Amino acid sequence: MDKKGKPLPGANVFLKGTYDGTTSDSEGIFNFKTIEKDTAILSATYVGFEISEKNIGLNGKEVLHNFRLEESANELNTVVITAGAFEASDEKRMAMLKPLDIVTTAGAAADITGAIQFLPGAQRVGEQEGLFVRGGSGQETKVVIDGMIVQNPFFSSLPDVQQRGRFSPFMFKGASFSTGGYSAQYGQALSSVLLLNTTDKASNNGLGISLNLANAGLNYDYASKNQSISAVAYYGNLKPLFALVKQNVDWLHEPEFKGTSLTYRLKPTKHGVLKVYGMYSDSRLSVNSKNPSTDSGRMKLDLKNRNAFMTSTYSDQWADGKWLLNSGFSYSRNKDNMSFDAINFDRFDARTQARLVLTRLLAGNNSVLFGGETHAINLQNGVDGRLYRLKDHYTAIFAESEIYVTRQLAGRVGVRGEYLSLLNRFNVAPRLSFAYKTGKFSQVSLAAGQFYQNPDYRYSYMNKNLNFERADHLILNFQIIKNQRTFRFETFYKNYAQLVREFTGEVFDADPYRFPWGPTNNQGDGYAKGFDFFWRDQKTIKNFDYWVTYSYVDSKRLFQQFQESATPTFISNHNISLITKKWFEKIQTSFNMTYAFTSGRPYYNPNNKVFLSDRTPAVHNVSIQSSKLASIKGNLVIFYASIDNILNTKNVFTYRYTTDGKTRYSVGPQSYRSFFIGTQIMLSKKAKVDKNDL
Amino acid sequence: MKKLLTTSLLTLLSMVSVFAQNEKYVQAMTASIELLDKVDKAKNDPVELQGIANRFERIATAETKEWLPRYYAAYCYTLMGLSGNSIADKDKYLDKADGLLKEAETLAGKPSDEILIMKAYAAQIRLAADAMNRWQKYGALFTENIDAAKAVNSDNPRIYYLEGSSLFFTPEEYGGGKKVAKPLLEKAVAKFAAFKPQSSISPQWGRMEAEWMLSQTN
Repeated sequence: MDKKGKPLPGANVFLKGTYDGTTSDSEGIFNFKTIEKDTAILSATYVGFEISEKNIGLNGKEVLHNFRLEESANELNTVVITAGAFEASDEKRMAMLKPLDIVTTAGAAADITGAIQFLPGAQRVGEQEGLFVRGGSGQETKVVIDGMIVQNPFFSSLPDVQQRGRFSPFMFKGASFSTGGYSAQYGQALSSVLLLNTTDKASNNGLGISLNLANAGLNYDYASKNQSISAVAYYGNLKPLFALVKQNVDWLHEPEFKGTSLTYRLKPTKHGVLKVYGMYSDSRLSVNSKNPSTDSGRMKLDLKNRNAFMTSTYSDQWADGKWLLNSGFSYSRNKDNMSFDAINFDRFDARTQARLVLTRLLAGNNSVLFGGETHAINLQNGVDGRLYRLKDHYTAIFAESEIYVTRQLAGRVGVRGEYLSLLNRFNVAPRLSFAYKTGKFSQVSLAAGQFYQNPDYRYSYMNKNLNFERADHLILNFQIIKNQRTFRFETFYKNYAQLVREFTGEVFDADPYRFPWGPTNNQGDGYAKGFDFFWRDQKTIKNFDYWVTYSYVDSKRLFQQFQESATPTFISNHNISLITKKWFEKIQTSFNMTYAFTSGRPYYNPNNKVFLSDRTPAVHNVSIQSSKLASIKGNLVIFYASIDNILNTKNVFTYRYTTDGKTRYSVGPQSYRSFFIGTQIMLSKKAKVDKNDL
Repeated sequence: MKKLLTTSLLTLLSMVSVFAQNEKYVQAMTASIELLDKVDKAKNDPVELQGIANRFERIATAETKEWLPRYYAAYCYTLMGLSGNSIADKDKYLDKADGLLKEAETLAGKPSDEILIMKAYAAQIRLAADAMNRWQKYGALFTENIDAAKAVNSDNPRIYYLEGSSLFFTPEEYGGGKKVAKPLLEKAVAKFAAFKPQSSISPQWGRMEAEWMLSQTN
């Protein structure tokens, strides 16, 4: 029987080293005869349990024994540390999402960040790119691919235009979205990290064609026994799409972009994996944007961007998996040639980084790791003829240990030390996580820690004496995952300290194009607190998957130009998302619908004595998406179509005022109701083809 | 002379005891294999299979150098992986099968087509437990093991049965279906007819399954 006294039918009970034994019956009772003599070892084994043995004497008499078997460690009896992290992975059992979920979410436009915005803890800010997590700005979240920080994860930012991520979600086998309290292995992000892990092997052999209203692309995969190579090339032009979808923006040159990428993977030894990824992209656009601070009320914005990024990682293990190595090297280079009317604003940034992490696995699921990383960052900003330059060297070392006190109680303790040459400062940050299994399917966990980030580099051009900005997190989480249903509740408190404040001596300047010029210090502070719910059900209705999330945030800060503490403009107190997906087996089609609600955000009104007390109306967005699989002449073809903002809601993200403060105009999405269609064709010779591109 | 007689007598006696032990082993294996053959492969009753798996495991702990009992025990657990109540249960059986096949591989020494085929079969059933999320990893593992088995012995009929059954259950949109499976199943049936097992207790399963599946493709 097991520890609780429940009988175990089907257990194997035998004399070790002999053929004598039997299988226990439905009541867990076993009975067998032997001709062995003297002494023997009576063993009992059962699937999922530890083996149990007893020395017995054989002298002709009946021997009675009651075995109590111990369950082996498995997902139902062993706790997993999850506070502050949302896993999307095929491999981890505690994963809340699979990578397929990210791609099939309506309204996400197959963009990873787009899909993450529908998870608890994320706030939707329609006119800016980035992940806004739990009261943090988009700058406070870092995107990390295979352990390496990505310098430019999004296409170049333009005021009031939300840009997409540069990376296709199909590159990744898993994503972990941290909503705070993340591991000591990562740093330089006050709010959260989005950890993306690339796939280990190419998915199909052969040529694929991608065609949609925005771009045309080719991808080619080749895999042999221990190496594989994938190549992608694409050209995009949004002119045809914008001719069909009514735009709220006056385009002078619709976005045009082209690029190519190459991925090479090699398995040089039994466990070693080398991955090299290189990408180059080129884009340009020109728009006549609304700007109340000019006489005409308009400003011509021109942007040309070139971006190159290369990353290579090597991972390996020794001593039968006891030692793990993860190492990486990356280089990225980004150049923006921008002009606002006749004035040039050029930006250049380059980042070189190297990273090494060694993990030692100990008995009983325990582990300890230590590692370090070093980065060289080179920034240049050309502002109206003047060139600002910055060179920074960032180094960090970290150590962390995961300890299972019992199977029900686990803790993760870490510490991270960082040095930034630009500020000539050190910091040491502790990180802590605990998890306790409250039942077979449920657990509670806690995460806490200190997080440092260098201040916005634009401040550092003028003031080299600034200090790190800091956030202290405390997060509590409770979750149940049972029968393909998930319920998760999380509450948090964040304390912000050492935030940069700028003293201009003038009235608040809401111009999104302004470059900070006033004296600065680290006297700013703030807080963010709130909670969120997540409920997902994949079982009740067949082939139907839905999830609902509600997030609440209350936050105030005294930072940037603020002269008093106020709720920043990127905060919406309430965010609700409802995501539904249905798969129709007979016609091999999926149909997905999403509803997103974002409550009003503060905006600056020069006529209101109370700073940032006005709120925009709430934003509603209903979108639908559908994908169909078909086989045409033996080739797998995927068709997809989506309609965003199907109710044509005239959403407003924020308001701006003319310099005289008399006229207010709205900033909203580039288009209201819009649609998109496309197809992916796999010209594959092999039988197994790619279903993940749904 | 006397020494020679004693030596040869001792040698003869030791050979007899070795044969006796081998005979016990062969007897136990044959009996257990017979029980395994009797299992209704359409139902794969886990209670029945657990009892047979336990028999093979007992033989395995007694015969620490034989890979066959471990192979057959893994076969039982692989079949149980088809009938578990939840993904977690199926994985528990398949984890057990994986462990036993690892032991079998080490004992066999050189690559064995039968063990590689069983590894492919286990990968196929692992995939079937959660196809939407596992087809990528376990599909690749299946192909890897089948290809390795072909390299050792391309006449093994079970290779073609597994390839055929994999296509049989793959939807047409992904390049599968009954039509594509048919030629492979025909090849399997032909190879089964020509197959001669190495010993009375070497793996011979799959002929009935291949013939039944082939009949379904018409």
